[in-house]
Amino acid sequence: MNKIKHKINLANISRFRTIIQILSFILIMYGGYAAITISERIPTFACPYATGSAGTCYLIAMQHGLHITWADFASYRGFGFYTGLLIFLAWFIVFNKSWCGFVCPLGSIQDWITKLRKLLGIAFTKYDSKLFKKLRFIKFIVLGLLILIPLGMSNSLFGLPHFSHDLGAPFCQICPGRTVLPLFTGSTSELFIDFANNTTIFMSTLGIIIFVTFIIGSFFKKRFFCFFCPMSALQFLFSRIGLLRMTKVGSVCTKCGNCSRVCDIGIEQIAEDITSKFIVKDDCMMCFKCVEACPENDCLKVSFAGISILNSTDEGFFKRYSDSKTFKIDTDSKELIDQKKKND
Amino acid sequence: MTKNKSQNTISRYERMKKTSTVHLAMEYAKSLKEVVDDFPYNPESMYFFYDRMNAFLDAENTDLANKKVIATSCIFVPEEIIYALGAIPLRICNGAYSYDQIGAEFMPAKACPLVKSTIGQLHVNNFPMGAKPQLIVNPTSCDYKKKMPEVETASEIEFYTLELPATKETEASKSYWIQSIDAFIKKLEKTTGNKLTRKKLKEAINLVSQAQQQYRRLHTIRKQGPVIWGKDVILLSNSYFFEDIRKWTEQLEKLNDELEVRVENKQYVVKENAPKILLTGSPSIFPNLKTPVLIEQMGGLIVADEFCSSNRLLYDTVAVDEWFLYDMIPALADRYLKPCTCPNLTPNTDRDRKLINTAKEFSADGVIYQAFAGCQLYEMESLRIAKKLEQEGIPMLYIETDYNPDDLGQLSTRIEAFLESLKAKKSKTQIA
Repeated sequence: MNKIKHKINLANISRFRTIIQILSFILIMYGGYAAITISERIPTFACPYATGSAGTCYLIAMQHGLHITWADFASYRGFGFYTGLLIFLAWFIVFNKSWCGFVCPLGSIQDWITKLRKLLGIAFTKYDSKLFKKLRFIKFIVLGLLILIPLGMSNSLFGLPHFSHDLGAPFCQICPGRTVLPLFTGSTSELFIDFANNTTIFMSTLGIIIFVTFIIGSFFKKRFFCFFCPMSALQFLFSRIGLLRMTKVGSVCTKCGNCSRVCDIGIEQIAEDITSKFIVKDDCMMCFKCVEACPENDCLKVSFAGISILNSTDEGFFKRYSDSKTFKIDTDSKELIDQKKKND
Repeated sequence: MTKNKSQNTISRYERMKKTSTVHLAMEYAKSLKEVVDDFPYNPESMYFFYDRMNAFLDAENTDLANKKVIATSCIFVPEEIIYALGAIPLRICNGAYSYDQIGAEFMPAKACPLVKSTIGQLHVNNFPMGAKPQLIVNPTSCDYKKKMPEVETASEIEFYTLELPATKETEASKSYWIQSIDAFIKKLEKTTGNKLTRKKLKEAINLVSQAQQQYRRLHTIRKQGPVIWGKDVILLSNSYFFEDIRKWTEQLEKLNDELEVRVENKQYVVKENAPKILLTGSPSIFPNLKTPVLIEQMGGLIVADEFCSSNRLLYDTVAVDEWFLYDMIPALADRYLKPCTCPNLTPNTDRDRKLINTAKEFSADGVIYQAFAGCQLYEMESLRIAKKLEQEGIPMLYIETDYNPDDLGQLSTRIEAFLESLKAKKSKTQIA
């Protein structure tokens, strides 16, 4: 058992993650063609607008589920919303936010765009910490809106008139998942502006703008969209009860910042926060790159239902981040000096 | 008349150079004797490092004579960049009393002996292995270092001031430091005539990382049992200042292999109940191993230290996400600033945590805090550290010393008393 643990601690988690990402991308994007349906309430961007989708993103179900009057919350329609939420939670609790890091097809696409940028050798950009702190609230605002707007369609919020039904599933109308993911099934059908009325023109134009921003943004900024994703915000609300956990032992931390530098989102708190045990922050996607980059033994730990599965170790760090081959090839000093001595 | 006078001064300088060389040789011989001969159970593989300590004196060894050498005067200088630009870093922080006395002519009487002796060394222009540094990279860490370039000595080597922020907590300080590093790279490119490339820097990072791996391994071994004297670890760390890094890493690997066998066979250098000491404060640099040698002569064992000349030297790592210059340089900059516990940074609470954690990890019984007379930064932090350690139930002894051997008697009394109190406390807890 200890041997297996030791091996996992030395393993290249990022490579494993890439494989899982590819497999789950295929499953979620094309599983529908093989009549696979995982669930209608999965906590990741499985978009039914893409024809082969093997499931449905919970945000759709939630927006539809909330399109009910206050009174309905006590009826069978409300019951539908509650069971939906429970199914979502059941899926979510098992893998926690690693749905984002390992499964989400939109996230994987961003990672692949990053790989393309790396091939071209173009530098990435990062938000400075001030901007980061401001921008991180956007996803909570988006989450708030996608809850309030459907409610406002069936009820009068704050004395306002009922919202137009053209605002149905408002987030889907602007979600880059709806515009990007169908492209992978060869469909550009979602790239249009709906001229039916002012509301649809506004929402579909916004959708196109977000599509373009998504492509450009994720080229220059790693996991550009995840920072604004309402799914990430929703998941964070329940992150503490997840079975998969990441914890930090602050007293061991030297604040060297390795973890925050390799973080695709750029979370600085992972390095700066030396008091919280539960280190999964709202923007975290549980990709565990930080655990890989941490050189302090047992500072960052990943566990599942209390069973430890991955710890940071200095041995693992050096295995991943130091290339002994380069060292061996480049021995101009010793060998060359010996040679020179012979020649002399 | 004037001619005569100048002749006199030249001869005085020449005389100073000569006598200092003799004094240095005596000091080295004495210190080495204390470190090596007065202790039992020195590991076989340590003899490489003992021998190398004479590199300063060995006139025949001219390994560095025809190489591009960049001198560094502080731990803050990113040596990876120097390697990547085809030069060799040589740390010139000095521990010799004979140089301290020369440096005293240029500095205030109460100045830090480390800086004084470095100045002294520069004045007589003596570097190990025939090295002729092209540049001295001098970070603005403490005040004495900051003002070092303004001290007029006989040395003609150019100083380069590497600007260091006063804190590491703010966004501004981080970008300031990266700008500093960028400027340093430009300067070094000019000095060496080479250009910093992605491939070279990656190789350099790996090169240092190999040394780090062995150094960290040494500390993992030290945690498992008292298999090596602390004075040896301090000495071998000092030899990293001037030794060829590949050779150093190789030799350290050998030593580690030897020590691992010792751990298995439980061949300990002291009895397991000897008081275990964590040493911190102003750095002990060979030949000034006065404090560590005293501690271990008195029956203590230094299990770890927190010196910028030893444990902190090779501890912090570089993690690069994308192996391009745009990510490698900030990663390097981070290695030198972010985890640093140098007291010139404010606030320096990371040092409290680090000391407490190190004391726990190495199961130290007490901390000995050494401050050089004149080293205000370490002097000032001592009270806070003592308080923090007390809260954790870790006793601390504060000693003020310098390179002068005069205070040996006083020091040994205090250290002995401290070690005795630790022993008493230990046996008490064992009975309880």
